Amino acid sequence: MEYIASTLTFTGIALIGVLGVYMVTGLTGLFSFGQAAFLAIGAYVSAVLFKNLGFPLPLAALVAMLVGLAAGLLVGLPTVRLRRDYISLVTFGFGEAIIAVLNNTANITGGAMGLSGVPQRTSFLLVLASVIVCVAIVVSYKNSKYGRQCLALRNDELAAKSMGINVERLKLVTFLIASVMTSFAGVLYVFYTTYVEPGAFGWVISAEWMIIVFVGGVNSLTGAVVATVLLTGLPEFLRFASEWRIAIYCIIVLLILNFRPSGIFGEHEISLRFLRRLFRKGDSAE
Amino acid sequence: MSSLEVKGLSKAFGGVKAIDDFSFEVDDHNIVGIIGPNGAGKTTVFNLLTGVYPLDAGQVFLDGKELTGMPQHAITRAGIARTFQNIRLFRGLNVLQNVMTAADPYSDYNLLDVCFFTPRKRRRERAVRDLSRNYLKIVGLEGYEKERPESLPYGLQRKLELARALATKPRVLLLDEPAAGLNPSEVRALIDLVRTIHGQFQFSIIIIEHRLEVVMELSSKIFVLNFGKLLASGTPAEIVCHKAVTEAYLGEEETECSA
Repeated sequence: MEYIASTLTFTGIALIGVLGVYMVTGLTGLFSFGQAAFLAIGAYVSAVLFKNLGFPLPLAALVAMLVGLAAGLLVGLPTVRLRRDYISLVTFGFGEAIIAVLNNTANITGGAMGLSGVPQRTSFLLVLASVIVCVAIVVSYKNSKYGRQCLALRNDELAAKSMGINVERLKLVTFLIASVMTSFAGVLYVFYTTYVEPGAFGWVISAEWMIIVFVGGVNSLTGAVVATVLLTGLPEFLRFASEWRIAIYCIIVLLILNFRPSGIFGEHEISLRFLRRLFRKGDSAE
Repeated sequence: MSSLEVKGLSKAFGGVKAIDDFSFEVDDHNIVGIIGPNGAGKTTVFNLLTGVYPLDAGQVFLDGKELTGMPQHAITRAGIARTFQNIRLFRGLNVLQNVMTAADPYSDYNLLDVCFFTPRKRRRERAVRDLSRNYLKIVGLEGYEKERPESLPYGLQRKLELARALATKPRVLLLDEPAAGLNPSEVRALIDLVRTIHGQFQFSIIIIEHRLEVVMELSSKIFVLNFGKLLASGTPAEIVCHKAVTEAYLGEEETECSA
């Protein structure tokens, strides 16, 4: 039972990270290869503040998210003007730089040895509640003018600009929300595992999140959620196959690319309204 | 009173002078046409007016306010809307959402409203939806709201572009070859539609078009471009009889002029 709860907790934390990637990559079409760095920022900042400086947990979490926001600004401000392919390079570099910083500030972060002795304060219920709140925010964002404009600019930036959309600002806003959200996931993470080391936040994690978004369907939040559960939850339950995890990943991605190039859900969402209609009409042709 | 005033517009790409010292004015609530052979720089004029490219020289004024050097989205919000020659609709969004994106920049709710699901967000969203439905109705796209733009027939895609441009609340509307690819009866309908829209809203229209009947019927004034330079300007009747124009554009055939 405890094992299942722990797997679900990790899945939930990963899901919040994936939500960030979904907003940046799925909605807006920017490839962020450094998203996991925000997880690291959230985790380290909150843990150090709490453990070394005696900050109360909520304050430590808040400051961690603000630092995430500031880091997001630092990366975002110059990059939103760049072409899409350069954005992935810059965010990739940023992510690796953060890890280098963590490795080289051993007196604060413990360096490659990691930071241990953080008390466990995150529970499964807290993660569940956080996931629900984050999903709700992303749903609301997607169904607002912001989400619509993000999809528009992802599709055709020139046309989006000539519709009066401030493309650069919108990209920045989306990127910042994702940064804060991922930093928050980092707080949940460190106060659950009680131990973090820089290696856990490399670009591999960012890439994994992006794969999840693509497997689920770039445009579909439902897809992102389902794919997170499938790709991070299942392998945990299939522990015996854990060495095959990356291979399984690759096979799934290849299958998806071949048979459903736009992801499992493509652009479709399962909304409450959709479900209601499904049950009322029985077999709806839509 | 002129609403759009363009002075000495110039743009070179490498050594090619795409637009060379082009000045023109569009009177308030008027329709003007820009014609010229292929490569004369017509679309470049639109791209310069809307800020897609920076100007090499020249100034653009809208209702007396200078727009030169402003970013694209700011120019649109200041009141210059456009449609595209090669239709550029948002493929990930449905027909209604396409129009809504253009109305959205005027929707004044913020991120807090998004995070807390406030009634203000719901009200503004509903207002934008109703407004956009109305624009769809004006161009005759009622009932297509949920369709994907790419699944619409070509003529309807043109209309959707028009509805989307209307939703930006323009003071000047730039139509880049709105009749391209339409059959004769659709061209007829387009002319009527443009006239209706023009009657309904208080804005000026600039049309680039190769189908001369469109420009001749709608515009009160026509500017002829050739190799980026203004070759002639005048009323449709004057242009038809203009010697240089007929040579450069319509061919050297003798045209009957009663002027």
